[in-house]
Amino acid sequence: MRKVLRALALGAVLVFFLFPIFWIVLMSFQTNEQILRLPPSLLFTPTLANYRALISGHLVTAAGVLDITFLRNLGNSVLLSTASVLLSLLLGVPAAYAFARFRFRLGEDIAFTLLSFRFAPPLLVLLPLSLYFQDLGLNDTYAGLIWVYQLICLPLILWIVRGYFEDLSPDIEYAYQVDGHSWGQAFRRIALPLAGPGIAAAGLLAFIFAWNNFVFALILASADKQPVTVGALAFVTASGIQYGQIAAAIVLSILPTLALALYAQRWLVEGLSLGAVKG
Amino acid sequence: MTASAPTLPRPRSRRLARRALPYLLSLPALLVCIGILVPFFTAVWYSLERYNLAMPMMRSFVGPAQYLDLLTDPDFWQTVKVSFIYAAATVGIELLLGLGIALLLREQSRLNNVVSVVLLLPLMTAPAIASLMWKLMTNPNFGVLSWLVSLLGVHDFRWASDPRTAMFTVVLVDVWVYTPFMMILLLAGLRSLPRQPFEAAALDGVPAHFVFFRITLPMLSPYIITATLFRLLDSIQQFDIVYAMTQGGPGDALMLFQVRAYLDFFQYTNVGTSAALMVILWAITYLLSNLFIKQWLKLRERTHHA
Amino acid sequence: MSGLRLHRLSVRFGRSLALAPLDLEVARGEVVVIFGPSGAGKTVLLRAIAGLLPEAEGEIWIGGEELSAQGPERRRVGMAFQNFALYPHLTARENIASPLRARRLPPAEVEARVGEIAALLRIGHVLDHLPRALSNGQKQRTALARALIGRPEVLLLDDPLRNVDAKLRYEMRLEFPRLLRESRAATLFVTQDYREAMALGDRVAILREGRLVQCAPPAEIYDHPADTAIARLFGDPPINLLPAARRDEGGRIRVTVAGAALDVPALPPGMAHFRLGLRPEALIPLPTAAPEALSVRVIAVTPLHERTVILGHAPDGSEIVASLPRRDVVPGEILHLRPDPARLLFFDAESGERIAAHTPLAEAVS
Repeated sequence: MRKVLRALALGAVLVFFLFPIFWIVLMSFQTNEQILRLPPSLLFTPTLANYRALISGHLVTAAGVLDITFLRNLGNSVLLSTASVLLSLLLGVPAAYAFARFRFRLGEDIAFTLLSFRFAPPLLVLLPLSLYFQDLGLNDTYAGLIWVYQLICLPLILWIVRGYFEDLSPDIEYAYQVDGHSWGQAFRRIALPLAGPGIAAAGLLAFIFAWNNFVFALILASADKQPVTVGALAFVTASGIQYGQIAAAIVLSILPTLALALYAQRWLVEGLSLGAVKG
Repeated sequence: MTASAPTLPRPRSRRLARRALPYLLSLPALLVCIGILVPFFTAVWYSLERYNLAMPMMRSFVGPAQYLDLLTDPDFWQTVKVSFIYAAATVGIELLLGLGIALLLREQSRLNNVVSVVLLLPLMTAPAIASLMWKLMTNPNFGVLSWLVSLLGVHDFRWASDPRTAMFTVVLVDVWVYTPFMMILLLAGLRSLPRQPFEAAALDGVPAHFVFFRITLPMLSPYIITATLFRLLDSIQQFDIVYAMTQGGPGDALMLFQVRAYLDFFQYTNVGTSAALMVILWAITYLLSNLFIKQWLKLRERTHHA
Repeated sequence: MSGLRLHRLSVRFGRSLALAPLDLEVARGEVVVIFGPSGAGKTVLLRAIAGLLPEAEGEIWIGGEELSAQGPERRRVGMAFQNFALYPHLTARENIASPLRARRLPPAEVEARVGEIAALLRIGHVLDHLPRALSNGQKQRTALARALIGRPEVLLLDDPLRNVDAKLRYEMRLEFPRLLRESRAATLFVTQDYREAMALGDRVAILREGRLVQCAPPAEIYDHPADTAIARLFGDPPINLLPAARRDEGGRIRVTVAGAALDVPALPPGMAHFRLGLRPEALIPLPTAAPEALSVRVIAVTPLHERTVILGHAPDGSEIVASLPRRDVVPGEILHLRPDPARLLFFDAESGERIAAHTPLAEAVS
């Protein structure tokens, strides 16, 4: 009896959380006629027309041919997320090491400022920034966006990687230095490889957060620099009733993060719980 | 004074380098800090100004007048009300649901581990995109959920387009996206609890509900508090889901803090009030985040010493 | 001078003095054991010498060069850490080779020297294992091999036997003297175990609360401890420390202790009340009662190796521990124990510091 109840509960949970993804994937392989048919049917001949239209960039509607830039949005997402995470790692890992290893006044201040702003409303900073960006000429550049994306990636990397460095015994690096290696060599060949899993987890999580971000690009990015999250919304308005294409666009937008999540789930869970619980 | 060989670096410069090292390493983080602090202070300044982008000539310093205006503005109180309802509803449901699922998945088994991984997927979906997914599913013409609801005899259920059910709909999407986060944290907490009290209770034949309320919940409470505060901080600032779903409508049914500030700024070009709104939200989150950070450091301390 | 010379080396963390200014010279080939309770500053001293504490002040001469301003990589020290501090992602072989790699020695020479030291420490068969696959004993030997392989001028061993089991600890205690002699380094060996200190040290330096309180060969420390605390730390069974008083009886100096009156050849001048230290093996059993003997009622008997250790009560009730040549003793028996006059130790009643007796006594020792 207990077992049956447990199985039922588990089944209900799985249905609730997975059905939307499953359904949208189905829709993405359907024509508009199939989508509009009621009651909905699981049996249909799948079509790749939606994906073909998205990839070719030409959407044939009743009103005529529509050019879509969705693929460009996808490319922007890849570029923005990857570049932001790489920059964040480059800047954040040494800083995380400094916070973990050296007790210094400024370090605590920086760590605390970043942490408290991690929780501040993004619009508070973004609205003035949007005015500054116009003045500085950054409002139409990838560089400006990548810089602002550091607000998402850097605190995450700092806090997760710092926790990993703190768990490493400094004696291991000291031993390497006593062996005759410089501080830099000890950092590169001992501290970095040993914190590797943490750095990977943090990088992965930062990538997903950057990819999924909406409001930064909504406010700061011009049309041709927009990532998929913003692009998809614009696309919904533009394509009107082409529901199949909308579903296909959604699938393409979430595919990379879902694939990453499944591929590296162990790291991800560790990063998420470390990020929130451990630091 | 020293007999060091000429190849050795000068002592003074070495000491200096060693002193400067932590600062050099954290310089980038410092720059980002400044990058946040400058616009932050700008926003505070704007909130004290009457400043509309459409009427730059009228720009003037008004001190706290804008805050006082807000306090007597029923629209502002509507924003406060819906923001708090939204936060309370989402976090409450996610906590109960997340705790329930974590308890279901508590034992380490192949099936449970697969399920807990699969449940990550909604969390990995961009919230704005998740809104679009649910928008498709709740479309009045062909949405599968609309159809299901009609099977239950409820016709003309209009989801997010009806002011009476709009809140329910966006809360549903939030629950779909963020319950897994709650679940992961609580599951990690559950699995890290010591086994002995539970084994002792099982030996003594203590009833299950007693074990849950007197042993499991108190031991898990630091995790529950941390996860709840964390979600509360995010939820009170919700933007993506609501903006992508209804842009704050219908009417002002979902005019959360950040949605209102966004519209004030971009639709009405009213920089001043939008900044004042954000500063008020910032004050709320600042209090919450201080609570959270305290809890979180305590928990961190515990797990580090475990 | 080659080897190690410390001149007024001190460490201050904020306002607390972790190591008071200290002078110490260690010749190459000499082993100085740093002994003291935890928190005494032993590890701080080692880390200061290795260059791991920027807070350190004072001069550190290694091989005739003053290196206190240099980083750890230039100090030509080898160090074994208490927790081993092996590189978890490198094999035992690469762990050991690390100091040679740092000097960019040709691979063939690295290989040869790693093989040599691994054979010496009997870990040749585990060289390709990662540290997590090694037993504690193998980890400890790997850490030791890494410290020794660079033929350092100064060898710093931070309680290397602390985290290994009792049997291995015993074996290593026998092996260490040969290893350390062959290393030809000036060695500082930290330990909290007095047996290790006695077995391994050419000299023992005792630290307490960041201060060097005594530095002398082990026998000297045992026979002439600087104070009651050191006297208690060294020796098992422990020393008897009894309140005593001087009594002059017509030209004879006598000491009353535990209800007996002992004849002593000499006493430091001006001392009326003090503490008398009696090593358990410095109590000689007499066949009959005598005025200079303590009559002790036996309470407990422990046969130990070739000796018998007894715990008894003196007439005034104070507890006395004695270590006698092996014999049958039963509880309840009365023993007459005469303190060896040549081995009496006098300590100040207040400070606990040892007070040297007159010359005749000092000559009688050795």
